[in-house]
Amino acid sequence: MEATFDSLLLGFSVAFRPDVLLYAFLGCLVGTLVGMLPGIGPLAGISILLPVTYGLDATKAIVMLAGIYYGSQYGGSTTSILMRIPGEAASVMTCIDGYAMAQKGRAGAALCIAAVGSFIAGTFGVLLLTVVAPPLAGFALRFGPPEYTALLVLGLIFLAYMSSTSLVRTLLMASFGLLLGMIGIDVLTGHFRYSFDIPELGDGIGIVPVAVGLFGLGEILSTPSKTVTEKVVSPRLVELLPTREEWRQSAMPIARGSLLGFLIGIVPGSAHIISSFLSYALEKRISKTPEEFGHGAVAGVAGPESANNAASTGAFVPMLALGLPTGPVTAVLMAALLIHGVPPGPSLVNEHPQVFWGFIASMYVGNLMLLALNLPLVGLFVSVLRIPYGYLYPLIIMFCIIGVYEVNHSVVDVWIMLIMGVVGYGLRKFGFDPAPLVLGLVIAPIFEMSLRQSLIVSNGSWTIFFDVNERPIAAALLAVCGVLLALAALSLIRSRKDWRNKLAEAEGPEGANQ
Amino acid sequence: MILRRDHVAGLVFVAAGGLVYALSDSLPWGSLAMPGAGMMPKLVLGMMIVFGLLLMVRGSTSPPLAETDWSDLGHALCVIIAATLATALYTTLGFVLTMSLLLFGLTAAIERKPPLHALAFSIGTALFAYFLFSSLLKSPLPRGLIGFF
Repeated sequence: MEATFDSLLLGFSVAFRPDVLLYAFLGCLVGTLVGMLPGIGPLAGISILLPVTYGLDATKAIVMLAGIYYGSQYGGSTTSILMRIPGEAASVMTCIDGYAMAQKGRAGAALCIAAVGSFIAGTFGVLLLTVVAPPLAGFALRFGPPEYTALLVLGLIFLAYMSSTSLVRTLLMASFGLLLGMIGIDVLTGHFRYSFDIPELGDGIGIVPVAVGLFGLGEILSTPSKTVTEKVVSPRLVELLPTREEWRQSAMPIARGSLLGFLIGIVPGSAHIISSFLSYALEKRISKTPEEFGHGAVAGVAGPESANNAASTGAFVPMLALGLPTGPVTAVLMAALLIHGVPPGPSLVNEHPQVFWGFIASMYVGNLMLLALNLPLVGLFVSVLRIPYGYLYPLIIMFCIIGVYEVNHSVVDVWIMLIMGVVGYGLRKFGFDPAPLVLGLVIAPIFEMSLRQSLIVSNGSWTIFFDVNERPIAAALLAVCGVLLALAALSLIRSRKDWRNKLAEAEGPEGANQ
Repeated sequence: MILRRDHVAGLVFVAAGGLVYALSDSLPWGSLAMPGAGMMPKLVLGMMIVFGLLLMVRGSTSPPLAETDWSDLGHALCVIIAATLATALYTTLGFVLTMSLLLFGLTAAIERKPPLHALAFSIGTALFAYFLFSSLLKSPLPRGLIGFF
């Protein structure tokens, strides 16, 4: 514990450097805007701005990009409460009671509760991250190729089990992503795979053009400007303070949402979306006045907002400690670290302590910054929402092209982005969530390498994954996979209505079709 | 029989999987002790085809294809055409000229904004982005074959 405290002090010495503070602030500011603006979520925002970080060192780059991620969770609530449009998917639940509070003239109080809840949950999440990540990284040093293979299989199955669409759809998307990740030169044999004599494809398909295409361009294609309303309620600063009763009603939902969100955040899948839904369901179930939910219940704002912030912090645990992404956003953040020559994973804490602890400490500072940004400046942020969408989306397309081109200075990447934009549009029309595709793309090289290495080591014997005496960790991880698959099969056989159906119902007819 | 969304989606994935499998003919499978370059792609393609088939089999619970809302297709096509033209011209015309044309096309022609507003917005934004990336962020953008930015 003392060593952790000393390391954290080292982290604060990095995080309080003026240049790091500046990039943390920029990340939080951009993240708030990204979260607020409908059409660009945290993933598109991070992907588009990734090339901007190339001139920075690894610490500043990851501090800024992570700031965008958790900043977007704060910003998402503003559009939900004021316009009933979720700035990003995790804010869907906040729309229900947040907007109802705004209709009753309590928009300021709802924004304040959302911001304070997000701050408490974010800080709580970072505290747990500080305690959990280093020992987990130490444990993961025992992992060899079979353990990594088993862990990745578990990750995919968890993703499918926890995904907001069906198990089959998620696994189909993940397979598609894995396949895209196999384009390019096979590092073990030197064979070109699916490169069709295009030299740029020899290095494979990058995550940035795929992510920007699917989530940036794809979203714009399916959002005509006539569907975006620009009517915004703008609360005054004096209206921001909740009443004593509202504080009392929000205290326990914030506490429960923080814990629930962090635990779900560690699990692969759309954690921040799932956590906000589960928190809403939990609050409604234990409330003495469940009939108030949907009509401006304070707990309906405080719980989900806290949960999605804690989940976004929890998602950093497997990324930092194991080098495994739990979702597309952490996958892009991992790619950012790799671009800067810092491989995330068990060795990160020992080999790059300044990056690891500097990043963690910057999250404490970032949460404070976001609280300071989101409350007093809410009027300013709201004015951004008044930019007509007809001007906004061409701007986003321009930044998508710049962001993708700047990665390798290659037009082929821009073509890939365009194709993926069309694919993303089609996937949305047919009710697919593109997130597992990106995750599949990122883990494909690690997955293939660890599987093939395991088979080579065992001389072609699959038993290397199930040998309880030689490889107990791999066997245990695969046993968990078996349990999850059995549970999923059981649910399919019984055709039980689970949380996916309830989430779809809450999202309305569009969601219900998924 | 009503054609449903998942029937079509599943069929597309099965067909695409089969096509790519056919293209993978030259990739060696290898052996379990020494997996070749084709083993993983073929395994993944197999998974994709199986999940596509499952989607088709369970497709009767999905909404009918005719109920899919395509009202945004016109907007999507316009944006795709504009972005495709911009990508094709990007390195030839250079950043400022291409982006000015793209932004003007989207705002004036597609969004029906007043032409003067659209022109000022397009040129101003493209110039601002060019100087932001090229001068401040030291990340060069294409100047084009005719040397105009």
